[in-house]
Amino acid sequence: MIHPRQHVDPRWRRRGARLSLVCALLLAAVTAPLAEAAKKADPEKLPVTRIRDLHYGDVLFYFYQGENFEALTRLTAFDSWGRLPSHQAESQLLLGGLYLELGLHNEAGRRFEQLLGPEIPAGVRNRAWFYLAKIWYVRGYLDRAEAALLRIDGRLPAALEAERMHLRANVLMRQQRFAEAARLLNGWDGPAVWTAYARFNLGVAFVRDGQLEQAVPFLTQVGTLASGRNELLALRDRANLALGFAWLQAEQPAKAKEALQRVRLNGPFSSRALLGAGWADAQLGDFQGALTPWLELRDRSLLDAAVQESFLAVPYAFAKLDATSQAVEYYESAVQSFDAESLQIDAAIERVRAGTMLEGIVEREATGGSYGWFWQLKDLPTAPETRYLYSVLAGHDFQEGLKNYRDLAYLDRTLTRWSESFDAYGSMIDTRERAFSERLPRADELLAADGVGALAARRNEVESRIGQIAREADYAALGTAEQRDQWQRILLAEEALALEPPGPERDDAAARLRLVKGVLYWNLAASFRGRMFEQRRALRDLDALLRDTQNRWERLAVARASVPANTGEFGQRLAAAGEKLAALRDRLVATRGKQNELLAALAVRELSQQKERLNTYQLQARFALATIYDRAAMAPSEAAAPVGPDGDDTGTGPAAPVEPTP
Amino acid sequence: MFRSQPLALTLLLVAGAVIHALDASAAERHALIGKPAPDFALRSAAGPNLRLSEQRGDVVVLSFWSSRCNTCRLQLAELDRLYATYRPAGFVVFGIGVDDDAARAVEFVRAQGASFPMLFDPAKQIARSFDIDNLPMLVAIDRFGVVRLVRRDDRRSGVAEYTAALRRLLDE
Amino acid sequence: MVAAIRHRKSAVRRVLHVAWLAFLCAALLGVFTPVLAQQAEGSPAPEMPAPEMPAPEMPVPDAADAADAAPAPDTQALDEEVQLLKKDAVDLNRELFMLEEELLFPANTQVAVFLSMDVGEFFALDSVQLKINGREVGNYLYTQREAEALLKGGVHRVYLGNLKVGEHELVAIFTGKGPNEREYRRGASTRFAKAVGAKYLELKITDRQLRGQPEFEIKDWE
Repeated sequence: MIHPRQHVDPRWRRRGARLSLVCALLLAAVTAPLAEAAKKADPEKLPVTRIRDLHYGDVLFYFYQGENFEALTRLTAFDSWGRLPSHQAESQLLLGGLYLELGLHNEAGRRFEQLLGPEIPAGVRNRAWFYLAKIWYVRGYLDRAEAALLRIDGRLPAALEAERMHLRANVLMRQQRFAEAARLLNGWDGPAVWTAYARFNLGVAFVRDGQLEQAVPFLTQVGTLASGRNELLALRDRANLALGFAWLQAEQPAKAKEALQRVRLNGPFSSRALLGAGWADAQLGDFQGALTPWLELRDRSLLDAAVQESFLAVPYAFAKLDATSQAVEYYESAVQSFDAESLQIDAAIERVRAGTMLEGIVEREATGGSYGWFWQLKDLPTAPETRYLYSVLAGHDFQEGLKNYRDLAYLDRTLTRWSESFDAYGSMIDTRERAFSERLPRADELLAADGVGALAARRNEVESRIGQIAREADYAALGTAEQRDQWQRILLAEEALALEPPGPERDDAAARLRLVKGVLYWNLAASFRGRMFEQRRALRDLDALLRDTQNRWERLAVARASVPANTGEFGQRLAAAGEKLAALRDRLVATRGKQNELLAALAVRELSQQKERLNTYQLQARFALATIYDRAAMAPSEAAAPVGPDGDDTGTGPAAPVEPTP
Repeated sequence: MFRSQPLALTLLLVAGAVIHALDASAAERHALIGKPAPDFALRSAAGPNLRLSEQRGDVVVLSFWSSRCNTCRLQLAELDRLYATYRPAGFVVFGIGVDDDAARAVEFVRAQGASFPMLFDPAKQIARSFDIDNLPMLVAIDRFGVVRLVRRDDRRSGVAEYTAALRRLLDE
Repeated sequence: MVAAIRHRKSAVRRVLHVAWLAFLCAALLGVFTPVLAQQAEGSPAPEMPAPEMPAPEMPVPDAADAADAAPAPDTQALDEEVQLLKKDAVDLNRELFMLEEELLFPANTQVAVFLSMDVGEFFALDSVQLKINGREVGNYLYTQREAEALLKGGVHRVYLGNLKVGEHELVAIFTGKGPNEREYRRGASTRFAKAVGAKYLELKITDRQLRGQPEFEIKDWE
């Protein structure tokens, strides 16, 4: 016995095959492994549908080309016209997806909220909530992101599942819920890359929260992972760096050194590792040892905070080693370098405030035709300020702000194009209205005269007359004009003859008249059938003509009825759209300005922090110098007695490396 | 504007050249400047059809040529050098041939050996839509698809000037 | 010469399009785009709060403290404003699109010709030429990107125009590459009646698996 489920409609099977083919095709463009996953993800899909509304296919034509803005415009327009009656569910889902894609997450969220009911397959719903959670997270809506993540039911496809866990952990961490994040990650056995990032993030979060105990296992795991991938090696460096500095803070220099020594010397984090290694030595009391890594840093770029700090650390170590003159020399050169760098930062702040630098970045990036949230800043600008701003430029706030800024630029351009068509439409409407105003009176006159009705009445008259002739066999009625004239004359002659006095003359005339009448009647009778046929055919032709006229008449009546709605309405709509356009463009300009200011503020904030740090260093260097000079003046034989990084109440604010002694 | 007879075209171009020699600043003036470039799709010598609007986001230079035009060869060679340099910065060049003799056009493309796509516009529809009245003629379109520069002047001395202009477009 | 001219009013046989797929793609497009210069493609970005390392106590001022001193600008308020603005711009764009079409192609006289493909193996579309009542009304050259969109299930509105009520004839001539790189040039034609109200015609290119040949037909959407 065959179980019903085993019966597969062959057509259905074909659809399935087709689907996975298309699926593979589609996803191959995005990422190959995912296509594999999607192929297997059969239970996740919506029932296969046919294109039942051509206009829905037209939307997809643009959507599949990545023209999301065009697809959105068409989708909403076609829907307003009611041209998508058979694809309501899918088009609404697509609409939500497009809004999401274009960064309109509020709109997308609202739509998903209404749409993602139980009738939509879990896979579709889950993906929708996942992407929504992602955009909400980077835009800082943590509560919403968490709520959306909680709506995911079951597991996502493997590639997304890892990202979901990562996202969940990040949401928890940013809400300071470290214990929950740790529980989540401890039980997670995901792909190496994702788990490494998640553990690193959590480790750092614990360190920042002052929970070194909790942080150590996570950071050590990442700091000792084996990988050939450059990206993971960089992450490993960062984990070791974080761990090393955390141990330094906890005054465990030996453990710190162990972690820091795992940082690659040729990697991007070597400067900070060298700085830390020096501090570890210093904590162990080995200032000579500390000088080796610190002096190594002197030739590196002063942009690096680790290098800046080494400018203070080196003279500090010399002072500890009683090499006062070297200490003085290095402090002095540090003061000079900090001065110069500080001036450069001032100049950078000026330029950012003047707006030139950001416009440079943003305009260049904004000119790309594409639009939307999934866009990423591909390479960093080459402006001189940029070197101070790497971390800001890579941050979510800046990146998301930049997206908004360039979206606004894109929309502005799109709307500007419309404004160029406005004149043309205006004159089209004018022309049309003029044409109508010339023709309408004539149309109205025609319609009022009811010409077709009159024609029909006349036609009926003709028909009844033909019927009468046929019934009465009135042969003469269908004769030619000449025949009818002759016939008339014969009848008149007969009447005249009847008035004549009887006699042979009258009989003779009557006989001739009868003969003429007989011949004529014979002729008329012979052609009567043919002529009657002609008459009937003419009537049929007339009928056809009348039907045409009737149709045309009706169309004219319809057209006339639609005229007021057509012309005046267009004019009004055009005018209204023009006003909206102008207002919207003003808003676009204003908001773009605000967005630009916000981005500038982010940059200035970062630059100011850097300047503040430099100033602090500056102050420390000058103070140390003054102390050395004072001491030299007071007791030439007594060396400076600096205090190292062993003070226990520091770590929250700038602390002078040199403790002034009275 | 264009007839299918090569003679008529040649006459027209000669006339165009004379007129523009008299008006040196004409290179800057063109009805399309500041307007969205008319979109088109053309067959390319290499095979695929190429559509202008699909290049949005890049700076596109259209160089109109004919196999009978010697200065066209120079301009295309010059553009080939620029293309090699600026391609990674989002610079696209389309050479657009307006020959109606397909065989000659194909031979010209082969001999020229340009590394950018060479397209064929035998019906001269695209040339008409861009108001091409001289050969060679160069039209530069910005990353938003707006015509920004039209150059009829084919003198060697002008190269630096338009190179600078193109670089400005790339920097926008 | 036009070889096989065929007009068939068959039921929609092409089966395609899955909404989840559409959505998936909408959502997926950017996920695997390269993140920033520093990160390799296809890999997760390190998330906040990663970038800064915890500060050692000496003599580095804590970055977190500095951050508290200068409050971060409020990005969310502006984000909300930008969203509203974007939505208005998107809506206005739709309004203008509709106004333009209603003005240029009023429903009473509108005729639209669509092109769809349900092939993959046997035909690579290059161009389609359209003639209505013997007059050429369009000649569309397809790029690779457009052809791919058609293969994925997109339908291209290749012609939008106006026609009077009555009988008309549409001829479509397709060119492309068939099996074995063979150049194809095929035609299809139909006579159709235009009534009051929009008229839609669909040019369909389908694979006939059995014959290993593409087929061309025109469907008259009532």
